[in-house]
Amino acid sequence: MENTIKVERAILNITQDDLAKRIGVSRQTINSIEANRYVPSTVLALKLSDVFNKPVNDFFKLSNDD
Amino acid sequence: MEMEKIIASERNRFYKLINFRLSYRFMRIGIAIVLLTIVMMFVRAFAMEGDTVWLKVLLQKFLLVGMLIMSLSKDKLEDEMTIILRTQSYAIALVVGVIYALVMPYVEFGVSNVMTSGGESFKNLGDFQVLLFMLMVQLMFYHNLKRYR
Repeated sequence: MENTIKVERAILNITQDDLAKRIGVSRQTINSIEANRYVPSTVLALKLSDVFNKPVNDFFKLSNDD
Repeated sequence: MEMEKIIASERNRFYKLINFRLSYRFMRIGIAIVLLTIVMMFVRAFAMEGDTVWLKVLLQKFLLVGMLIMSLSKDKLEDEMTIILRTQSYAIALVVGVIYALVMPYVEFGVSNVMTSGGESFKNLGDFQVLLFMLMVQLMFYHNLKRYR
């Protein structure tokens, strides 16, 4: 799974900490998601979709090994 | 319909049980119990005389309870990733604990026989040693997994 959360965050001009607070997780969790070390649950993906105001498919993409 | 209600109720109770966690303030209580118990263990070993085996057994129980409280208490900010990391740490602790309980008696037996002629007779590990090891592995792995996430 690949994602463009870092880009979406830059568009909104918010830090990892801001995003973490908005969706109720720790900053380290956001960092792990951005680095593709952790694939979030559907609930968290939908919360991110809410913040970015975009469908989940726009910032999460399946990679070849998925 | 009645049966479905019973099954749903049992399922809810089961999920409540497996999701049980103590609040964050219990972490400090657990640490305090562990530290106090370790200090008391040293006091018993070096400063007390007479038959204090009962105290040793009691302190061992307190140490396990303290570590269990630490293991069960929530983080300051609990999210889905910390829950997954905790689950992984319990799985690792179980596997490593079983291997430890199976292998360690042979290691102790072998080492004691190499060091001294005749050595000790073969004996299994006690529950305290295995449980302490498993709790230590769980806490250590959980905090390391969190650090490297």
